[in-house]
Amino acid sequence: MAKLTYRDAIRNTMFQEMQRDERVVVLGEDVVGGMGTAGGPEAIGGIWSTTTGFYDAFGPNRVIDTPISESAIMGAAGGLALAGKRPIAEIMFADFIGVSMDQLWNQIAKFRYMFGGKSVCPAVIRMPCGAGYNAAAQHSQMISQFVTGMPGIKVVMPTTPEDACGLMRQAIRDDDPVVFLEHKFLYGLTGEVNEDPDFCIPFGHARLARAGKDVTIVASGMMVRYAETAADDLAQDGIGCDVIDIRTTSPLDEEAILDSVEVTGRAVIVDEAPPRCSLATDLSSLIAQKAFASLKAPIEMVTPPHTPVPFARELESAYLPSPAKIAAAVRKTLDYR
Amino acid sequence: MQLNREALTRAYRQMKLIREFEERLHEEIQTGEIAGFTHLYCGQEAVAVGVCEHLTERDKIVSTHRGHGHCLAKGCDVDGMMKEIWGSQDGLCNGKGGSMHIADIDKGMLGANGIVGAGAPIAVGAALSNKIDGPDEDGKLAIALAFSGDGACNQGTTFEAMNLAVVTKAPCIFVFENNHYSEHTGVDYAVGTVQDIASRAEAFGMKVWRADGTDFFAVHDTFREVLEYVRTPGNGPAAVEFDTERFFGHFEGDPQRYRGEGELDRLRAERDCLKIFRASVTGAALLDDADLDKVDADALQAIEDAVKAARAGARPQPENVLDNVYISY
Amino acid sequence: MSRIRAFTMPKWGIEMTEGTIADWMVKEGDSFKRGQTLCLIETAKITNEVEAEYDATVRRIIVGGGAGEEPVGALLAVFDEGSHSDDEIEAFVAGFKPAEGGIAQGAEKAKAAEPAAVAAAPAPEKQRVKIDTNRPISPEALRLAEEEGVDISGIEGSGRGGRITHQDVIKALRGPSSAAPQGVLAVEPDDLRVLASPLARRIAALHGLSLSGLTGTGPRGRISKADVLALVPETKAAAGFGTPEFVAGENRPEVVPFDRVRKVVAQRLTQAKQELPHFYLRMSASADKLMEMRKSANVVLGCKASVNDWIVKACATALARHPDVNVQVHGQEIHRFPHADVSIAVASPKGLVTPVVRQANLMRIDQIAAETRRLIEKAQAGKLSMDDMDGGTFSVSNLGMFGIENFDAIINPPQGAILAVGAALRQPVEKDDGAIAFETRISVTLSVDHRAIDGAAGAQFLQTLKGLIEAPEGMFA
Repeated sequence: MAKLTYRDAIRNTMFQEMQRDERVVVLGEDVVGGMGTAGGPEAIGGIWSTTTGFYDAFGPNRVIDTPISESAIMGAAGGLALAGKRPIAEIMFADFIGVSMDQLWNQIAKFRYMFGGKSVCPAVIRMPCGAGYNAAAQHSQMISQFVTGMPGIKVVMPTTPEDACGLMRQAIRDDDPVVFLEHKFLYGLTGEVNEDPDFCIPFGHARLARAGKDVTIVASGMMVRYAETAADDLAQDGIGCDVIDIRTTSPLDEEAILDSVEVTGRAVIVDEAPPRCSLATDLSSLIAQKAFASLKAPIEMVTPPHTPVPFARELESAYLPSPAKIAAAVRKTLDYR
Repeated sequence: MQLNREALTRAYRQMKLIREFEERLHEEIQTGEIAGFTHLYCGQEAVAVGVCEHLTERDKIVSTHRGHGHCLAKGCDVDGMMKEIWGSQDGLCNGKGGSMHIADIDKGMLGANGIVGAGAPIAVGAALSNKIDGPDEDGKLAIALAFSGDGACNQGTTFEAMNLAVVTKAPCIFVFENNHYSEHTGVDYAVGTVQDIASRAEAFGMKVWRADGTDFFAVHDTFREVLEYVRTPGNGPAAVEFDTERFFGHFEGDPQRYRGEGELDRLRAERDCLKIFRASVTGAALLDDADLDKVDADALQAIEDAVKAARAGARPQPENVLDNVYISY
Repeated sequence: MSRIRAFTMPKWGIEMTEGTIADWMVKEGDSFKRGQTLCLIETAKITNEVEAEYDATVRRIIVGGGAGEEPVGALLAVFDEGSHSDDEIEAFVAGFKPAEGGIAQGAEKAKAAEPAAVAAAPAPEKQRVKIDTNRPISPEALRLAEEEGVDISGIEGSGRGGRITHQDVIKALRGPSSAAPQGVLAVEPDDLRVLASPLARRIAALHGLSLSGLTGTGPRGRISKADVLALVPETKAAAGFGTPEFVAGENRPEVVPFDRVRKVVAQRLTQAKQELPHFYLRMSASADKLMEMRKSANVVLGCKASVNDWIVKACATALARHPDVNVQVHGQEIHRFPHADVSIAVASPKGLVTPVVRQANLMRIDQIAAETRRLIEKAQAGKLSMDDMDGGTFSVSNLGMFGIENFDAIINPPQGAILAVGAALRQPVEKDDGAIAFETRISVTLSVDHRAIDGAAGAQFLQTLKGLIEAPEGMFA
């Protein structure tokens, strides 16, 4: 086991896989940095430092800096994949999914289906997402709800360095297209990482971060960390919570969620996206449909309001879920009846 | 370069096959038997064939919504295509794609595409893949090619793709078929660079060519040069604009109210690439009418067989809806 | 007679304010004779037949059998000798006014003529207490609040713009939760070499099971909860015995709403238990001599007096000597009676009833036995009248026949005391000479209303009672 940051876990895994399989290529804006400048290549190695050293190791054919043109980046990832490569494309901020949407939604997600199963598109699209740095409305969004709802792609959202490692390796080796959502706020998080060069975490397998008999908290991404904090606080009062880190929104580990709710009877869903047509409402509906008889209280959702992400520090704080808001929601379910 | 008899016959057969395929669809669609949208390629055959005759299976093409011609020219199975348009389980895409999404990956045909302009970025990616693979024994790169029209040349995706191809020196060819209409709007209105698409590509930094798309030989000869250029490692992408015509509407069912008086008759009379080819080869005594008539009959028969096969093809079952969303889930 | 006669809800006993027609024995158009049973009327205390006091014809039945409560004096039916026209009858009904100062006059309602046989009526809408409010509230929420009498001023609306929703009202009805948290568990480490759902892993750990080698039937071949549960061993029965698995079926209750009698009993006993300061005095008495006397008296007098009849006699005698226990409490007044009207608790099909043995202190034991027999039979036939049950200055409740050793009874207001009598049991006692012998002993508990009867008074009464039981010849002094 090695102690790595989330950022390095992603970086190292991609690096190892590029060494292992020459078909793996990386493309995106500033994945190298410095192309066409006096300072020369690798001025940055990715603005999130997730591709540092790649250019030196693998050269310009396999580490491709692109101009700012998300449609082209996303489309080229699709074309590279159809032509037999295993591209990892970085969309610098998940918010930029807007300018690349057609190539993901209508092309990459649908090739296999439209072509009757005759094509393989093993592309990985990495998208740093989420709020916490006061980057405001166009650089802070959670987009899980949009991509989860697209049939044909898989959606992954690791929370720990170990998950980032295992899920990234799985994503690269998976022959289906994968959207890999990295939460910006987690890049510096350190944790133990399995060093096995074949360590993969299968998709659709949730992680139980905390265990308890009273309430089920379901979360993804950064929200898992808040849920863990809330659960630890509640444990001081003797309240035990199952904290389920779903890890992948598509495919979803329904069983883990429903099994837990069948025991606790109470569910709190935490999501960083606004509530309409979101992952939170999706999971609430799942629980209401399939674990209705077990419910002892209405399902609670802890989400931001139906607004864009605001700028000022206190506004962003008020916007986002927090351990306190999660704990309050847990108590609300316990107070019901 | 002269093409021999066999090559000429083959080229003519390809064009004729496309023509008969599309003309037959035009008839069949009126009965309502075929579902969805269909966009016919009649009039542009010389471009598809003139280009694709040069290509190998390692060369990839990405097509448009008007993709039957490109598909056939790239070597896709006629029966398989007709069955796909009929929605049969035995179609090239198991009835999952239909006219706008026909593909045959093994033959290097990366799909017709229902989104205008979407093909260009995909082609750049495929070209990058060929670049990564490097040149073959004779030092030549395999290429990728995006067919676009005078409509797609306005899409942001096309611009982004062209720029990306240039800066990465991707061996990608942007083939613009200017048939003067993007849906119901004329090129004089829609394209700001006054009926000159190639100059846009040039402005993005690539070498461009232009030719008359109704003349098979003009297309074929021009494209040879383009291909030679792009196959050479280090040259990067190129674009070529072919001036051509489409004889039918944007889609089948289009009332074509944008056409001028007698325009369609004139096009059929003066800008029909098949007629022009026939005149050319018979005039130069390369082939005679009897040879060409025989090809006409063969092509007609092939299409007749294809339609029969399509009608008899297995229908998909409701559970097939769930097939092939993922490889594993 | 040649006039139209109103048949109204009769008043039985001073307490009766309303009754219900349980059933009609006659229908419109029937002629009846004096003494013929017209209908059954049910009140809070009894159900009784109403006999015709004259010959007549039923012209109109206003209130059908099984319809709601009618106040005393309300018009139930119209009789005449048959000569009046329908119009005259209608005019009579329309013009009818309940008796001056009567209860029905206070609760006058206009009634349409109803046929005697009433088809099954649809479930009546629950009585609603109207809520007048400007607050935004959904129609369903308002209806529920009105039906259940919920005070919406205490509810914070969770709907749009503070609107009160149905769910808000239901929460208010339910009151606060009392969920006690059950606490934290340990997280089982997730070994990806053997892929199992988080809960499956937890269950396996709980039962000390290993997951390796297990085939999973969950998604993507994962081991799921069901796979692990299949492994959890059944507790094995002793060898040779096969215990069939018990499968619980439905345990659906039969719902029996309080009938009129039970409603009253419930209300009165609750009131007694809550409001009267009950004080309990316990005593046991040797009953051998009483048993002997009972046997011989039954032979001599030719009666069949029960042990309880003797207890009643003993109590009545003691009460006559201790009038401060033979009391009724009315408000701030103690009514001290010279004679003991002893209520005996009898189980009847209608529930517990308490007919009164009047002036039992003056009765001979055979008279008491006859009277109690008469009252018990009447009670068991459901035919006790108001007179049978009105009043009473003291109650005796005996559960000895069930083997109950002793118990504490609840006072029947307005009485001041009640004696609870247990079974006669053979018990060892120390005799005067120090030897142990067996005696028949009876335990009793006297419950007194401490507002009116002090401990000393009660104790003295019990002392007398004990003396009479142990030396029953004292009852004939």
